Amino acid sequence: MKDKIFGVLQRVGRSFMLPIALLPVAGLLLGIGSSFTNPTTIETYHLGKVIYEGGLFYTILDIMSKTGSAVFDNLALLFAMGVSIGMAKKEKEVAALSGAIAFLVMNTAISALIAAKGGVETMAENSTTSVLGITTLQMGVFGGILVGLGVAALHNKFYKIELPQVLSFFGGTRFVPIVATVTYLLVGIVMFYLWPIVQLGISKLGVLVLNSGYVGTWIYGILERALIPFGLHHVFYMPFWQTELGGSMVIDGNLVTGAQNIFFAELASKSTTVFSVSATRFMSGKFPFMIFGLPAAAFAMYRAARPEKKKVVGSLLLSAALTSMITGITEPLEFTFLFVAPLMYAVHCVLAGLSYMLMHILNVGVGMTFSGGAIDLTLFGILQGNAKTHWIWIIVVGLIYAVVYYFVFYFMITKLNLKTPGREADDVQPKLYKRSDMQEARATKAGGDQVVDRISALVLKGLGGKENLSDLDCCATRLRVTVKNATMIDDMLLKESGASGVIHKGDGVQVIYGPQVSVVKSHLEDFIDSPQSNDLDSIIGVVSKEISSSKLGEVTPKSTGTVISDQSVLTIYTHMNGKVIPLEAVEDDVFSQKILGDGIAIEPSEGKLFAPCDGKIDTVFETKHAVNMVSKEGVEILMHIGIDTVKLEGKYFETHVNDGQTVKRGDLLITFNKEAIQAAGYSLTTPLLVCNTDDYSSVQSIAEGVVSAGETAIKINQ
Amino acid sequence: MKTFAYTIKDEVGIHARPAGLLAKKAKCFESTIMLEKGGKSVNATKLMAVMGLGVKCGDTVTITVEGTDEEAAYEQMQTFFAENL
Repeated sequence: MKDKIFGVLQRVGRSFMLPIALLPVAGLLLGIGSSFTNPTTIETYHLGKVIYEGGLFYTILDIMSKTGSAVFDNLALLFAMGVSIGMAKKEKEVAALSGAIAFLVMNTAISALIAAKGGVETMAENSTTSVLGITTLQMGVFGGILVGLGVAALHNKFYKIELPQVLSFFGGTRFVPIVATVTYLLVGIVMFYLWPIVQLGISKLGVLVLNSGYVGTWIYGILERALIPFGLHHVFYMPFWQTELGGSMVIDGNLVTGAQNIFFAELASKSTTVFSVSATRFMSGKFPFMIFGLPAAAFAMYRAARPEKKKVVGSLLLSAALTSMITGITEPLEFTFLFVAPLMYAVHCVLAGLSYMLMHILNVGVGMTFSGGAIDLTLFGILQGNAKTHWIWIIVVGLIYAVVYYFVFYFMITKLNLKTPGREADDVQPKLYKRSDMQEARATKAGGDQVVDRISALVLKGLGGKENLSDLDCCATRLRVTVKNATMIDDMLLKESGASGVIHKGDGVQVIYGPQVSVVKSHLEDFIDSPQSNDLDSIIGVVSKEISSSKLGEVTPKSTGTVISDQSVLTIYTHMNGKVIPLEAVEDDVFSQKILGDGIAIEPSEGKLFAPCDGKIDTVFETKHAVNMVSKEGVEILMHIGIDTVKLEGKYFETHVNDGQTVKRGDLLITFNKEAIQAAGYSLTTPLLVCNTDDYSSVQSIAEGVVSAGETAIKINQ
Repeated sequence: MKTFAYTIKDEVGIHARPAGLLAKKAKCFESTIMLEKGGKSVNATKLMAVMGLGVKCGDTVTITVEGTDEEAAYEQMQTFFAENL
């Protein structure tokens, strides 16, 4: 159970990476843009002549600020969609759409209830916000994650649902947005009643903080960090920054309330000698861990990543660390370890809280516009002078924090083997399945599944195998497929799979299944991704073999025992010692689908290839792994040692004949280093093919089981 | 009759697999499709002959299409070479 939860959390963490990758850019835009369009900043540094409303620089900065905040304002939506995508197993685009819809529905339901209650005025202060123009409860990223996780769960459960025929148009993936809409309408109603209770608890905590001095500052810091993932930090710190909860003070004769307001009033006032730490205690603590601590944690994560992942992880962490340092936007970095290593986040919260407390004790009075990056430190700390702000302590504490964060994080990651970026278990690599694996896998499967598999197998085979597919989609009733080679499509197989018709149009083919087509498509996609799709024939079984052979009229099953007169029959003999494999079972389409001609294949027991008949060598491939010859009767034969061995470029092969040379049956043609080729990862299955199969009325394979070179392999009827 | 030249980009050239696919494709058409390299010309449907040309990466081959459906064959052959070779 614990492992399961952990596994889910890891996937959640990974699903965050898509929206997170966007945050550093958005953070820089917002950080730089908003710092320099802030009236206080402009006034303080007398930038008014260069940066003024309507001016070029101001407009550019304003665009940066607004586009950046567009991302942050809609972070919840990004997470609703991103988590849906990340957690959905298949058909991810449908999950994304459903996530967006569910997010809108949930917030709209809340909005309607707020209106019914009497509008925003009747709600607690700072408890509401506007999301995409919808007035709703301030749930922050938490709202998006709630949607993302729920929608993904619904999606994974329902995307293959089969509805009764009348309703079948609404089945499969089309059902997902529908069920998500209904579900999140209800979730919205529940949240309307539930969330304010949570918010109330948080603001009660605020009062507690204010009444407990240095320890209060510490708790404030811890909570402020701990609430970030839930989007509750705004509910929590805004009252401190903007209301009398954060203190009130008379400055230049005006009563100012709220920590941030006090700081900026002092900044604007010429009479300020030292900034009041009673106000900045709710802000200054951010600097040490944002500029120094978190970037050091990022470095620890980078150092702990596996060597082969360092490059990828490095760029993610570096940009996130720079964003934190420069702008004080920490989400990109924090979210990289929040879900995969919650314990690290807990430690981070405690250390962050401590930073606030230390700044309070050390009387550091640096305020900020919105966060604690180097920009704000420069503007409101360094440029104000150490006498007013004691900013030097930020550097001192910060350097210590860098060391502490680095060692604590590195120690935790390596000791607890936390799966921070670059340390995740690798996704299952596409591995080559052996036939025996397949049979084992199938043997353990329930009968019910096999029916499904067989239909998908029929469809796939009918479409010419997965290598032949270049695009797969469906409309209301038809599977719309673009194939690489339209001639490989087998209408009979498709009809056997339940299709009522097949329409060909160049490389495009439409297979008509009726309204349940989206289910057919989902099953087919699952099937293509499963290892079974490599072994269509044995799933489809005998029936389809008969169909294809009767259709193609090329292969006469050897069991028919046709009486063949001697004059018209040509015999080709086995080319190797080893075990005969039916051509259909060779793990390469070009052979198994007889594109190169009919014949047999042998899994060699020794590294020698012999002439299968008397004749003349036509071409020895430059890469020495294959040879063409023409029998004295004119049968064109290709022998191809191994699968994909063209890539060895002749290594491990030695040829003993030349182009144009006359050979006798049993002459040694090629020797090869069997062990070395196998060790290099290649299959040595060696097909012997009649390239001009079309010239004969039938080509039948005779040999089976273990054979020596020179036994009867193929009979050819002229 | 329609003709085009194509320089092989596939690094292993026209070996067994592409030759098989080419022959199969060529058989779809009524037209006679010939493949020419270095003065030697072969019918594209003749698998062994195509392989016998020993076309390697960087070689230029000339494809000639002649027959009743040469328009379609010409077009599809061009696509085939571009996609596979």
